[in-house]
Amino acid sequence: MNDYLKLQGILKMFGETCVLDNIDLEIREGELVTLLGPSGCGKSTLLRCIAGLSELDGGRILLENKDLANLPPRKREVGMVFQSYALFPNLTVSQNIEYGMKMRGLSKAARRSRCEELLVLVDLEEKRDVYPQSLSGGQQQRVALARSLAVQPKVLLLDEPLSALDAKIRKNLRAEIRDIQKRFNMTTLFVTHDQEEALILSDRICIMNGGRIVQDGTPEGLYTAPRTEFVARFMGSYNVLTRPEVMALFHGIDSGMDSFAIRPEAVTLLHDGAGQQEAAAGAQLVNGVIKSVSVLGNIIRCTVEAEGIRLTVDLLNDGRWLGAREGDKVTLALNPSELLHLEREGA
Amino acid sequence: MKQKSRGVILALIPFALMVLAFQLVPVLSMLTGSFQKADGTGLTLGNYLHALQSAYYMQAIKNSLLISLTSSLIGIIVGLFCAYCITRFTPRVRDRLLMLSNMTSNFAGVPLAFAYIILLGNNGVFTLLFKQWGWSVFTDFDLYSWSGLILVYVYFQVPLALLLLYPSFYGIREQWREAASLLGAGPWQFWKTIGLPILTPAIFGTLGILFANAMGAYATAYALVGGNYNLLAVRIGSLVAGDVVTQPEMGSTLAVLLGLTTILAVYLNHLMVRRTERFGAKALSKPDVKTKSSRRLWTAASEEVGQ
Amino acid sequence: MNIRKAGFAPRTFMLMLMVYLLLPLLATGIYAFAQDWQNTLLPQAWTLNWFGEMFKDIRFLEALWTSLYLCLISVVLSLAVMLPAVFVITIYFPRWESFMKVIVVLPYAVPGVVAAVGLIRTYSSGLFDIAGTAYLLVGAYFVVILPYMYQGIRNSLLTVNAVELLHAAELLGARRRTAFMNVILPNIWPGVIVSTLLSFSVLFGEFVLTNMLVGGHIQTIQVYLYQRMGESGHLASAIAISYFLFILVLSMVLMKLGKKMGGGVKG
Repeated sequence: MNDYLKLQGILKMFGETCVLDNIDLEIREGELVTLLGPSGCGKSTLLRCIAGLSELDGGRILLENKDLANLPPRKREVGMVFQSYALFPNLTVSQNIEYGMKMRGLSKAARRSRCEELLVLVDLEEKRDVYPQSLSGGQQQRVALARSLAVQPKVLLLDEPLSALDAKIRKNLRAEIRDIQKRFNMTTLFVTHDQEEALILSDRICIMNGGRIVQDGTPEGLYTAPRTEFVARFMGSYNVLTRPEVMALFHGIDSGMDSFAIRPEAVTLLHDGAGQQEAAAGAQLVNGVIKSVSVLGNIIRCTVEAEGIRLTVDLLNDGRWLGAREGDKVTLALNPSELLHLEREGA
Repeated sequence: MKQKSRGVILALIPFALMVLAFQLVPVLSMLTGSFQKADGTGLTLGNYLHALQSAYYMQAIKNSLLISLTSSLIGIIVGLFCAYCITRFTPRVRDRLLMLSNMTSNFAGVPLAFAYIILLGNNGVFTLLFKQWGWSVFTDFDLYSWSGLILVYVYFQVPLALLLLYPSFYGIREQWREAASLLGAGPWQFWKTIGLPILTPAIFGTLGILFANAMGAYATAYALVGGNYNLLAVRIGSLVAGDVVTQPEMGSTLAVLLGLTTILAVYLNHLMVRRTERFGAKALSKPDVKTKSSRRLWTAASEEVGQ
Repeated sequence: MNIRKAGFAPRTFMLMLMVYLLLPLLATGIYAFAQDWQNTLLPQAWTLNWFGEMFKDIRFLEALWTSLYLCLISVVLSLAVMLPAVFVITIYFPRWESFMKVIVVLPYAVPGVVAAVGLIRTYSSGLFDIAGTAYLLVGAYFVVILPYMYQGIRNSLLTVNAVELLHAAELLGARRRTAFMNVILPNIWPGVIVSTLLSFSVLFGEFVLTNMLVGGHIQTIQVYLYQRMGESGHLASAIAISYFLFILVLSMVLMKLGKKMGGGVKG
């Protein structure tokens, strides 16, 4: 019973278009899996299919080996938190949280005590008799979370729950969600288009594009070893290079691939003329000119033009390159082992 | 600066004059008239006392209240269902249906009464047909009684209710339904715990408008039953502009009483509209509230005038 | 949002509603074309005689004419008075918003009967004895369509952002009045036309005030219909159907114009 939630061959059409194209996914109990991708890639649709809010055109969903196919949403034991919170405006916070329990017929006392527990958990005890409209976005989302957890679902689905919030609140709530998820050992599917969020929160990330899962792995694995051009572009500021560009930089390459990538922090920035040490270690030296410098806090991001190719180079802001200016001549040290070979998207 | 204010005032004067002459002064006149003695000497509460003690006038008031309340209740229940149904259609189909519904409001008043007489009057088509087919339940139906009046009133109450209620359904977000179903609520439970409570202010507000609409209905009642059925609106008409001797003071008194009920009903509507705003512009955000709601009340109010 | 087609229940229900609403109309229509219609589902013989009689009846033509010119005069007068007034109120006194809300519900709060009582009382004697005259009726009509004209003009002004347009015009050197004529008026015209047509159809169907204020002397189409109702059912049906068709055509025009206006200006 390793796989708690199994998606097999999920297919969904919208008219002529295939919105979900033969999706296979297995999720273990207690895992937080993120569905990451651009808008329209089908991640929210997949979530809705699991919840029973959208119908499938093919495939199976098995939760603890039970087929969810013919079950209406209210029988699936699946909880969902929406991007717009979807709190019931005519009920107070505690009434919202108790709603699921009320539907299941729990006694008033049982409801009250569980509600209190959850209010403490999400730190909203004084707000129990308040109406949702007078809460901030972050508070409303916490109530939504508590409401879903109150009925102890087997799987928790989060549909871009943080997208409508300010950056600062997003960071705090993100950590809270992860905390709560770990505490309850709650199997969770998290949908987002923000790769930073995905990297921070997940046990596993599935990158989706055009209704398919393009790559699936741990955050580190996905970041350091993207398989396709699409993934490379999506996960950060990878330098994606064509074959001719690679030939120009590395003077030769032993691969049949057409697409390559190198991480911006894998390119070493050196003063003009330096690099003997790196060259001795096997790096390729290239001359270049700085085209722009941006200080992103603890990272300095430079755009360097070398051999007619624009490369993004990231350095730690430790004071060594303060004063770097547009037009400065530099040397880049490129390590061939850092060069990733990619599949073209759609292959 | 001064020139601006002068021009501004100038533009407002004709408007103010018209409103004064044909709205405000008459209302005041009516108010004072209700307190005057029949022979024109001095003020009295006698008219009101007489109205409230007279069995005849009390019956008129009672009849009007009964018919207005009943037709409003029926109108709102049917209207509620229709409003729910209409939101299930695509906007194009919905708009066509609404157009059809509003179109029939142009028929209200004399033509409507007449049409019902054709169908269900003493020699009405359906009446005779039912007699022929032996459907006695229907042949005993008297169009010119309170049940007939209610039936005809419902005809123009339902489209009004539909028009005023259907936008509120769009304020019920699909996501609330989805969230509720994931939490274990069936459709009926959802409406009972979330849907209807949210709609309640709109429902009561519309009830107010429907009630005022029915209380003030004149043309339909007049054309249908004339003076034969004791209704407040028609009674007032005959007191003030009747064929027999007129009693303008009593007419004014009764008009004031009628006006009080309609104003109260409309005030109820106002309170309820404020209540809906309590559920937050966030929760019930539908674009274009200004132009849409105004157009609603335009076409809705046009039905009223036909009465 | 709701892409799926409506289910069985809503469709049946709405169908029933439509049948219910159209039935009286249908009945009147059939009656107007029927030679005789007693106790059969459909008339046994059809005829156009009733329409012929109607068009030959002098009183019908007079009533039609009366309705037309009275409604027209009232609407034009209302336009002339309301346009500048609403303009001024919207631009200079936007805080009279609550006043607006009262105006909109006037037809319900002060129904026709009640208004008639006051009007008769005020104008029956003394200085302003215009009782029973067209002047009183036009004045009364003005109040009847006040809410529609007010709302229509006001909404048009708001939709075209009249305040900003005005400021732009002034910055370019125009005087207030000129700006109103050349800039505001052309832009709000479609919306104004819509409310004018609506007001016209409302007045055309008005009965209570007409009957109570001038019923004996002046006959509009509605009053005439009422009188004929008692005399000949078939003839009355012909009148009723003609009246309804006229209003229908008017509403269609209103609808088309409303769409054109709504499409042109994005609120």
